Amino acid sequence: MTSTLPAIELEGLTKRFGSRAAVDDLSARIPVGKVTGFIGPNGAGKTTTMGMLLGLVAPTAGGGRVLGAPLDNPGAFLPRVGALVEGPAFWPGLSGSENLRSLAVLGGHDVSRVATTLEMVGLGERGGDRYGIYSLGMKQRLGIAAALLGDPELLVLDEPVNGLDPTGITEMRRLMAALAGEGRTVLVSSHLLSELEQIADWLLVIDRGRAVYQGPAAELATGAQISVQLLPASVTDFDKLLEVVAAEGHEPRRQGELVVVAANGDEPRLVSAALNRAAADAGIVLSEVRVDRPNLESYYLAMVEGGDK
Amino acid sequence: MIRSFQFQLRVLWRRRVLLVTALTTLVFSVGAAALVLANATDGPAGLRGRGATVAGLSEAGGGTEVFLRGASFTGTFLFVLFVGAFAVDFGRGTVRTMLLRQPNRIRLLLGKLAGLLAYAAAWLAVAEVLTWLAARVLAPGQDVSTTSWTSLSAIGSGLVDYVTVLAWIAGYAILAMAIGVLTRSVPIALGIGLAWSGPIEHLTQNAWPDAVRYFPGLLLESFVAGGTAEITAARALLTVSGYVAAAAAIAAVTFARRDVTA
Repeated sequence: MTSTLPAIELEGLTKRFGSRAAVDDLSARIPVGKVTGFIGPNGAGKTTTMGMLLGLVAPTAGGGRVLGAPLDNPGAFLPRVGALVEGPAFWPGLSGSENLRSLAVLGGHDVSRVATTLEMVGLGERGGDRYGIYSLGMKQRLGIAAALLGDPELLVLDEPVNGLDPTGITEMRRLMAALAGEGRTVLVSSHLLSELEQIADWLLVIDRGRAVYQGPAAELATGAQISVQLLPASVTDFDKLLEVVAAEGHEPRRQGELVVVAANGDEPRLVSAALNRAAADAGIVLSEVRVDRPNLESYYLAMVEGGDK
Repeated sequence: MIRSFQFQLRVLWRRRVLLVTALTTLVFSVGAAALVLANATDGPAGLRGRGATVAGLSEAGGGTEVFLRGASFTGTFLFVLFVGAFAVDFGRGTVRTMLLRQPNRIRLLLGKLAGLLAYAAAWLAVAEVLTWLAARVLAPGQDVSTTSWTSLSAIGSGLVDYVTVLAWIAGYAILAMAIGVLTRSVPIALGIGLAWSGPIEHLTQNAWPDAVRYFPGLLLESFVAGGTAEITAARALLTVSGYVAAAAAIAAVTFARRDVTA
């Protein structure tokens, strides 16, 4: 496993379906040995991108490398990649373990790993049951087990917690963190940042096929603006409040019934106190004064909905 | 390709599939023997394309001729079965699961075809033996002599009949593969397969007898029947081989190039 080259490197990757660009000039680098959250709203191009990474979908333009091998030669890197894309798909007449054994034969993997992978995903006791009677969550777990069969360096998981109950989601997060702890690279997609916020070291956020953020997860929200929100007791005081805030040297904006003031790096509690005092001096009663500290999720939502970064 | 082949056999080699196949084979064998023997007419031997005769069935190859004639009635059934076997992987999404383990698409497709044909070949051998046994039991009731059915020449005829039916099935399998790969949908593929191999070809043949020289399903029927008044078995095999080669090429190119998005 190399530690200098990125696990995945994309250069201008583009996929068009007719006139619609599902992935549009996407360039990205996914570091080795980290959990990378691949985030974007539904239809942002996540699954299409993963399809191109796995040789299932041919790019219209651009390219890249996966584990050092070119994207257009999936045979060179897929044996070292485990993947679950577009949901689990297995043979309903076979048991979970028979499905895995068959896939191990197809992939040239060690069949003796089947029991281990079933245990890893919590299906150890249900491996003998027919896949056709599995619940959605169990099917999802089997999909993860299949991805782990070849002891992969890189795991590509498309919405892996779909169908899992809260306990299953927690276990899946632990599993992904543990896999990354073993030095594997995990690329995991979701349309909800909150699902990955706790485990992702690195984020690739896309919207309408384009990257809108890539970098350490911890740095995503550092550019987010903390604001002070003021709610006048009487709506008739709204315009007057805007003037008072402007006179204090701020640039207020309306947000519904609220007057929103960016802290601009000042201590928000001091800004709140100053504005509260100024409003009172002007005879305005405020029924609410609160500090809004955006979390990662709200910052992400603002980003993909066209809000300011 | 060997891994894909082994994989396909593993998927097929399960109790329920084996039981259904065994039961179907048994019903086919007994039914085919009864039907062919019951419909045997008086007449000279050596006219395989025309219909079974008591004299023909009493020859050395008579026992396995029953199998050959019985198999020829199952063309549409087998065709539809193969169409479903290829299309189901697209409908169920398992083609994606397979491609993640075997990215060489041509090898995957060939391995699947080979696996299905190997499975068919094994059961075909069972069917031939069972049909022969059933025919041996039923033949005396239809005044068909079985004294030469156990000769060395009978074994030779049996092998030729087996290879003929296997080639005939391979033709259907490859045509079915093309339909499955092109449509990627079980209901659409089955609809096309049933409509084409059933009404379309046969209704056209009723209105235009020469259709038997050009339509792939009719050519395969003519081949397995040992030729007809309109076309010899050799000519039918040669013509249908062109269709089969074209179907294989179209299936391979389509499967190799098309995006797998669902």
